[in-house]
Amino acid sequence: MKKQFLDTYLFILGFLSLFSAGCVKVEYSKIDEPAYLRVFNNINYVQTLGSKDDKVPFFCMLINPVLDDSGMPVSAGIVGDFLDKRAAYAPPYPSHVGTSISVNNPEYPGKENVLVGPVLNGFDLSSWAQVPSGKLRIMFVYRPKNTVPFFQLENHLKKDILVDTVIDLSVKEVYTLHLLQKDFVTKRSGILLRQENFHKLPLSDSLAYVNFYNMSAKGYWEADKSLKADNYRLKSFQGGMRDEMNVFLTLYETESNLSHLGETVSGYKGKYVSNVKLNTTTGVVNSYVSFPVWASGKSDGIKTDIWQRFDFFTPGMDIANNPFYHSSIDNGGNWAAVNCLAKGQTGLTSNDNGALLPNLLVNIHSGTYNPKTFATVNTIEVVNGEVYLTTIQRKYAPPIY
Amino acid sequence: MKNLKYLWLLAVSFCGLLACKHDELSVIKPNENIRPAADFVKNNYETSLFFAAIEKSGYKEQLNGPGPFTVLAPTNAAFNGLGIYYPSDFDRIDADSLKRLIGYHILPRRLRTSDVPANGVDVRYATLEGTELYTSLASLNANGGPAGNTLYFSGALASRKDVVLANGVLHVLEKVMKPAFQTTTAQWLEQHAEYSVFVAGLKKFNLWEQLTTSGPFTIFAPDNDALQEVGINLESIRDMDTSLYKGDLLFGCYLLYNRHFFVNDLRLFEAINSNGRYKYLLKNDTHQMEIFGDYNSDWGYELILRTGGGPLDWIVKTAHSPLIAKNDNLCSNGLVHHLGTGLVSPEQAYKN
Repeated sequence: MKKQFLDTYLFILGFLSLFSAGCVKVEYSKIDEPAYLRVFNNINYVQTLGSKDDKVPFFCMLINPVLDDSGMPVSAGIVGDFLDKRAAYAPPYPSHVGTSISVNNPEYPGKENVLVGPVLNGFDLSSWAQVPSGKLRIMFVYRPKNTVPFFQLENHLKKDILVDTVIDLSVKEVYTLHLLQKDFVTKRSGILLRQENFHKLPLSDSLAYVNFYNMSAKGYWEADKSLKADNYRLKSFQGGMRDEMNVFLTLYETESNLSHLGETVSGYKGKYVSNVKLNTTTGVVNSYVSFPVWASGKSDGIKTDIWQRFDFFTPGMDIANNPFYHSSIDNGGNWAAVNCLAKGQTGLTSNDNGALLPNLLVNIHSGTYNPKTFATVNTIEVVNGEVYLTTIQRKYAPPIY
Repeated sequence: MKNLKYLWLLAVSFCGLLACKHDELSVIKPNENIRPAADFVKNNYETSLFFAAIEKSGYKEQLNGPGPFTVLAPTNAAFNGLGIYYPSDFDRIDADSLKRLIGYHILPRRLRTSDVPANGVDVRYATLEGTELYTSLASLNANGGPAGNTLYFSGALASRKDVVLANGVLHVLEKVMKPAFQTTTAQWLEQHAEYSVFVAGLKKFNLWEQLTTSGPFTIFAPDNDALQEVGINLESIRDMDTSLYKGDLLFGCYLLYNRHFFVNDLRLFEAINSNGRYKYLLKNDTHQMEIFGDYNSDWGYELILRTGGGPLDWIVKTAHSPLIAKNDNLCSNGLVHHLGTGLVSPEQAYKN
């Protein structure tokens, strides 16, 4: 009987020891008092014959770097390596992570495996990295375009620093940081830090919002064509646009008619929406303008396939008195247009001059509806001869199959 | 029952037979017959001239050594293009020059195609000679289209890539690379008598001195016959009054400033972004030049000179240059390409 008790105790003891062996101390990485930061490299380039000897703007971003006596970085608090030129579309979630086979990162955090922002006031901030708030020294260092991590490069390749400055971030604020060329003639570069406010605004979820920035280098649109990158996909944006432009919105009824002459939504044909001025110095957030998701009388309140066209005209010109032919590309900076439809890869079949970006409205399977249309908050940025779209979206219900 | 016992014995003895030694058991052995670099080159008829040059320049022992090496072996056809048909023809070349030329075709490292960055243009690697060569790899087209993986070394296409050697890797080149890093473009032109009229013209119109500076320049050098076609020779240059002619058009049209283009760069960028053309305005002149690859002649180049860059400007002259073996002379401050056609006659460059 006594032996039986002993056996039972031993068994329990052994069983408990299993639990203790299963214990492990997990050190969760955590940043106290974080700020949320997203970084874009707006110094764009096109690989052409004429530019083959130019230095490629391919960077390593270092936050709080440690330098040795010769001024060469040896380590850093945060490293955003392989920072390539930004992609035309910056999606609302870090979609590069799963699908890419390259180390080149079109934004930071992008593909980096770091702590990202939470869902803040309904907005998914998973494309924003958590960084410590307060004053941060930030550096952008040129690096060769290969797959060798920055600190494993040969020493003489680690000393070419483009920007070395200090930024000041407040706790739990959302920032976008842009690396820019500020002057096209002197090639002066710099950064622009913008404190975003979309998560503080009372935005409706039945309106799609968009704001516009022109962050082009001074003197770009005036420069001779031969000095600009030859990128035919950007059509009328190639030559850049003037320092002050009016923006006009046209909503087209359906993506199944890929023509700029197709049926438009009543009340939204060349409607004035905003004015945009060149600004590469202050981080002011331009005001958001909106259009209703259900603007079309044909929509059923669940899904719609309207698409958007934004025409940028110099003040005094508009869609009615536009002197250029539809397909005119080289307009002296007076007129540039962009079509936002589908996934930004589908060209129009008509003879127009618009660059291509994805649709501002997200159509996706949610709940029992496939697809269902959702409003988003967007930013359209013009940098030299390129146009970029950043989309931020709210969380929506998962699909029910 | 007894029969079964015998059967059992038979079966067991059969097993014993199977256990006998098999001398001819074949096991796949690794190939021990991969040759070191120099022997490999020697054993290929296509590269027999290159081997003769290796032997003559004294690299043979080193190339059969431990390595690793990357050997860029021009074919016999490539040497034929330079007028070299027999091993004895190398005797006409100065021994030091030959050693430098062959040393430039050998890298003291193992460089496979996969080691070159995708779409890398002019990636530099050290050679045995001591200078660097320019490596370009057209991997994929930004606008879609097939992945080419065409590889170039200082303007020469690797027509066969990644041949494995015991002590390295070998790429076959369709053209001999021609480094002349000890000379400027000016010195190079002066050393070649076939361009003497062009040199005289550059000197007459004050375009010569700049060719001794750092540049870089890309020069489409017309030979004496080509300039004779448009009515220019040593006598006519001597008699010219420089104040009456536009020198930047008459002789400046053959100069491309601040660029160093290999002829095969035109083919390279055709593969990288579907645009292998380059247009530029002549320096101090309104005429526009366009250069592009000539598909019809094994990728020589073609030049079009227009009166300007506008839609209403007309073509002054079109020139083909199919002699690819004479292009891509790599000098310290740029490149010289051979041009067999004169572009501008003195009458067309007359100031009015």
